[in-house]
Amino acid sequence: MTTETMQVDGEKAAVPPTASAARWKWRSSEGGVLNAFSHVFLLVWALMVGVPLLWALWSSFKTSGEILTHPWSLPTDFHFDNWSRAWSKANIGQYFLNTAFVVGLSTFGTMLLGSMAAYVLARFEFPGNRFIYFLFVGGMAFPVVMVLVPLFFVTKNLGILNTLPGLVLIYIAYSLPFTVFFMTAFFRTLPTTVAEAALIDGASHTRTFFQIMLPMAKPGIISIGIFNILGQWNQYLLPLVLNQGDTKNWVLTQGLADLAVQQGYQGDWGALFAGLSIAMLPVLAVYIVFQKQVQAGLTAGALK
Amino acid sequence: MRHGKYRFIIGFLAIPLALYGVLVISPFLQDFQISLTSWSGLTPEKNFIGLDNYQKLMHNDLFWKALWHNVLLLLFVPVVTLGFGLFFAFMLNVGGRRRGSAGVAGVRGSGLYKVIFFFPQVLSITIIAILWQQIYNPDPENGMLNSLLSSVGLSSLQQSWLGDSSIALICIMVVMVWANVGFYVVLFSAGMASIPGEIYEAALLDGASRVKTFFRITLPLLRDTVATAWVYMGIIAMDAFIYVQLMSVNVGGPDESTDVVPLLLYKTAFRDNSQYGMAAAMGVAMLIVTLVFAILSMRLSRRERIEF
Amino acid sequence: MGSEINRRDALKRAMAIGLFAVPATSLLSACASSDSGDTSKKPSSQGTKSADNPLGVNKGTALEAFVFKGGFGDDYIKSAEADYNAKYGITIKHTGTQAIGPKLQPRFASSTPPDFMDNSGADNLDTAALAKTGKLQDLTPLLDAPTIDDPSKKVRDVLIAGTVEQGQFGSKEMYAFNYAFTVYGTFYSNKLFKDKGWTYPQTFSDMLALCKKIKAAGIAPFTYPGKYPYYVHFDLLHQIGKVGGKEALNAIDNLDDGAFKTDAVKEVISYYEELAGQGYFLQGSEGMTHIQMQTAWTQGRAAMVADGSWVENEAAPTMPKDFDLAVGSLIGSGPNDKLPFGALYAAAGEPFIVAKDGKNPTGGMELLRIMLSKKQTTNFTNAIKSLTCVQGAADGLSLTPGLTSANAALKAAGPNVLNSRLQDWYKKLNNETIGNLTLDLLTGKIKAAEWIDKAQKASDDTKKDSSVPKFKHL
Repeated sequence: MTTETMQVDGEKAAVPPTASAARWKWRSSEGGVLNAFSHVFLLVWALMVGVPLLWALWSSFKTSGEILTHPWSLPTDFHFDNWSRAWSKANIGQYFLNTAFVVGLSTFGTMLLGSMAAYVLARFEFPGNRFIYFLFVGGMAFPVVMVLVPLFFVTKNLGILNTLPGLVLIYIAYSLPFTVFFMTAFFRTLPTTVAEAALIDGASHTRTFFQIMLPMAKPGIISIGIFNILGQWNQYLLPLVLNQGDTKNWVLTQGLADLAVQQGYQGDWGALFAGLSIAMLPVLAVYIVFQKQVQAGLTAGALK
Repeated sequence: MRHGKYRFIIGFLAIPLALYGVLVISPFLQDFQISLTSWSGLTPEKNFIGLDNYQKLMHNDLFWKALWHNVLLLLFVPVVTLGFGLFFAFMLNVGGRRRGSAGVAGVRGSGLYKVIFFFPQVLSITIIAILWQQIYNPDPENGMLNSLLSSVGLSSLQQSWLGDSSIALICIMVVMVWANVGFYVVLFSAGMASIPGEIYEAALLDGASRVKTFFRITLPLLRDTVATAWVYMGIIAMDAFIYVQLMSVNVGGPDESTDVVPLLLYKTAFRDNSQYGMAAAMGVAMLIVTLVFAILSMRLSRRERIEF
Repeated sequence: MGSEINRRDALKRAMAIGLFAVPATSLLSACASSDSGDTSKKPSSQGTKSADNPLGVNKGTALEAFVFKGGFGDDYIKSAEADYNAKYGITIKHTGTQAIGPKLQPRFASSTPPDFMDNSGADNLDTAALAKTGKLQDLTPLLDAPTIDDPSKKVRDVLIAGTVEQGQFGSKEMYAFNYAFTVYGTFYSNKLFKDKGWTYPQTFSDMLALCKKIKAAGIAPFTYPGKYPYYVHFDLLHQIGKVGGKEALNAIDNLDDGAFKTDAVKEVISYYEELAGQGYFLQGSEGMTHIQMQTAWTQGRAAMVADGSWVENEAAPTMPKDFDLAVGSLIGSGPNDKLPFGALYAAAGEPFIVAKDGKNPTGGMELLRIMLSKKQTTNFTNAIKSLTCVQGAADGLSLTPGLTSANAALKAAGPNVLNSRLQDWYKKLNNETIGNLTLDLLTGKIKAAEWIDKAQKASDDTKKDSSVPKFKHL
C-alpha cells in the first residue's frame, strides 16, 4: 500500500530540491539538525554492533596469543588452520543442520497449533474460553529454569528425552504462550464477514479456517513466526538439559557453549572465534538475502 | 451446526492444549508441589515440609536482592531497548532529508543500517557473552573498551566494568539492550513503513516538527506493535539468567550486585547442596511477580487502537 | 485503505493453494508410549574375581562414562577406556561434556545415573550432597585391590598422602577419587625475578618490601581473577594454616565458633589489607576472568598470582618460551608460625565418582584402576603436563619448568602439606560469600576487621542452615 514512503533502499542520492522546496524551507533547518543528529547516532550504533562482529571475524585468523594480547591488531598472517580445527573439532556443520531441522519444524508447528488455538479462542464463545486463554497466556510468566527438572522427567517418561523430535515438541509447547497471545489479538482484528459468508455457503469450520482465515492471517503469522524463529534459534537451557544425549543430536547453542567452555580451558582462542564465525556467517547471509522479505512480512504484520 | 461447532472447537484445541498441558503446565504443577518439600533433587523420595521453604525465602536477603535486580531489569531493559528501537526506526524512516516528492524519508543509507543493526540478532547468546567479555576486559592494554578509551585520551574513564559492583548490572543491561535493539528497529521500521506517508505530510504541512509527529502520529499508530514488543522484551528481561550466568563476576557478583532470581534458583537447585525444593519455591514466588507484570502489560495492550 | 485489496488477494490465494491442512495429530501419538527406563531389571555387574580381575568385573556388561571435558580434555580417559574395552570386550559409552550439574542431576533423581563420572568444572554437581544422600559407590574395594603394575601393592599404598582424605566426606568411606594432583601457590616468572634481582620472600613483611620494589619497577606485584575470587583463597586460606597450624585451618573447615577470630586469621587478612592499601594489585583485576589476568601476568604486567599448577597449560598461548615458571610456597608471619617455610597447599583434584545405583559400579572402579596404571599416568602427565595422585609417577619423565618447580616444592614440603576442604564442603560459602568479601578486601572497599566479622557471620549462618549438609575433619 504505502510502499512509496518505504525507503528500504536508501542508497539513492538525494534528489535536488524541487520547486516546492520553498514550502519546506522553514523546516529544512530543523530537519538538518535532526539529520545530523540522527546520522551521528546511527553511525555510533552501527559501529557498536558492527565492530564486535568484524572483530570476531578477524580474530578468527589470529593466534591465541595475538587475540589475548593485541585485541585490536589485524592478523599478521592468516591462520586458516583455526577454521579447519574449529570445523573438525566442533562439529559445527552437524549442529547447524540439527538446529535448522528443529527450528524449522517447531516454528511451523508453533504457528499451526498456535493459530488453531488462537482462532478458536478469538472467534468462538464456549465455556472455559477465558480460562484456557489465560492458561496459555500465563505461560509467558513461567521462568524456564524452574521447570527444568520436572520437565526432564516428563520428557523421559514420554520417551522423547534426548531426541530431536522431542526438542521440536518442547520448543512448540514453550512458544505457544506468546504465539497464542499475539494471534488471538490478531484474529480478533480480522473481519468476520468473509468467514460468515463461507459458512453460509456450506463450508465447514475447519475448511473456513484453513482456506480463508489462515491466509488472511498470513501477515500476523509471518511476523510472529519471525519472533519464534529467532527465539527458538537461541534457545539455550532447554536443549542443554533436555538434549544432552549423543553429540550427533546437539543443536548449535549447545555446540557453541561446549566450544566456549572447552576453549576457555584449552586456550585455543583462534579456533574459538573461527567456530563463532562459522556459526554466525550463514545466519547473517540468510538474513541479508531475505531481509527484504523479513521486512515486508513484518510490515504486513504491523498493518493488520 | 451447534454440534459441529463444539466438535470443531475441541478438535482445534485438543492438540495444542494437550502438548501445552503435558510439557508446560504439568511440570509447573509438579514444581509447585516440590516447593512444599525438602527434596534434594537427587533422590526419588520427597519429604513434605509445608510452607517452610516460603518462610525461609521471606528471610533470605539474597532472594530479595535478586528479585530487586529482576525488577530493575524489567523496568529499564524493555524501555531502553524499545526506546532505542523506536528512535532508530524513526530516524531510518522519517529522520532523513526529504527527497523528491516524498515529504518524509529515512536518512541516507537506511537500508544498510537496517542490515547492520540486525547483526546481534543472528548471534547466539554464547557468542555475545564471549564478545562482551573481551570488550569489558578491564586490562588497560588487552581490554577492548579500556584500550580504546586510552587511545582516544579518555583513560580517566577506564573502568573495571563487570568487576565494579556499582556498574556491573548496568554493564549487563547494556549487553541485553545491545543484543535486542536490532530486531525492534526492523520491527518498528516495518510498522512505520505501513503508516501512510500522507499522514506525515499533512502533519508537516500543518507545521508540526518531526519530534512532534513522532509523538503525535508514529507512537500512537504503533501502539499495538510496541505493546507486543514490550511483553516480549519483558520476558527476556525477567529471564536475564543466561546473560548474568555467562558474564557476571563471581556468578552474580561482585557482591551479588548482578544476581537475578533465575540464576539464584539455578544455583540453589543444581549446585548449593541441591536444595531443589527451595529452588522451586523461588520459582513460584517469581512467577507471582511476573504474572503481575503480564497482567499489567495486557491491560496496557488492550487499549483502543487508532484506526486509519 | 489498501486492506480491501489485501483481503481479496488473500481469498484468491487461498483458493489457489487449496486446503493445506497438515494435521499434526501423529505428533503426540509418540507420547502415549511410555518408556519407564530400565530400573526394574538390574543386571548383576559382579563377575568372578581373579588375580587378573581382582574387582570381579563381569565381562560384557555395559559401562557408561560421563566426564567433564575441560582443561585436561578427555583424551586421557578415552585412552584408559580403550584398555578397558580391550580387556572386557565392550565399548564404553563415552560422553565428554561441560555443565555436568544440570545434566546429571535428573539422572541421579531418576536412579539411572551413568556408572563413571568426572564431576568437575564450574557447573559440577555437589559431590558432598551426592555422598550424603548415598548416591555414590564407596571406593574402598578399589583402594584394597592390587595395582595393575605390581600385584603385590594395593592401590591405597601407591597414592600420594591426602588423596584418600580428599575423597572422604566426614566418614571413612571414600566417595571421590581425585586423579590429578595440583600444587597451589604463588606463581611467578623465574626469569623476571632473576633479571630484576628479586628473590621470592618467606614472610609477609619481606613480601611487602619486595612488592614495593616491584611496583617501583612499574609492574603490579599481584593480580587475581575477580570473576573467580576463590583463586585468592588458594594462598589466603593456607597462609592461615601456615601461621596458625593445621588446627586453625581445620577449625574453619569445621565451621567452628570463632574460627575466623584467631590471631592467625587477623595476621593474614591484615597483610591482604596492606597489599590492597598500597595498591599492589593490578588495576582492573576485580573484573577479569582467569584467562585475562593470566594474560596480563604472562605479559609481565603483574609479577605474581595465586594459582594452581594447571596454569602452565592454561596460559601456554601467551607465556613466553623463556618465562621459566616457578611456584613459591606459602609465606607467613615469621619464625613463630606453626609451620615452617616450605609448607604448601597441594591437593588431589578432578574428582571421579562411581554411581552406586548404576548398572556397573564394579566396572567403574576397574576403569579407575586402569587409569592408575603406569601406562596411563605417564600418558596423563606427558599429555596434560599435570601430576597424578600416584606416588613417583612423574619420576623419570622430562617435566616442564612449572612442573619441575611444583614437584620440587612438593618434596620440600614433606609432611607440611595443607589442604583446606572449605571449597569442597561448602562451595557457596567459600567461593561466593567469602569470595565476595575477599573481592571487597582486595579492592579496598572493606578493611580486615570487616572481612573477619562478615566471614565469621557467614560461617555461622552456614552452620545454622539445616539444609546444608555438614562435614567434620576426622
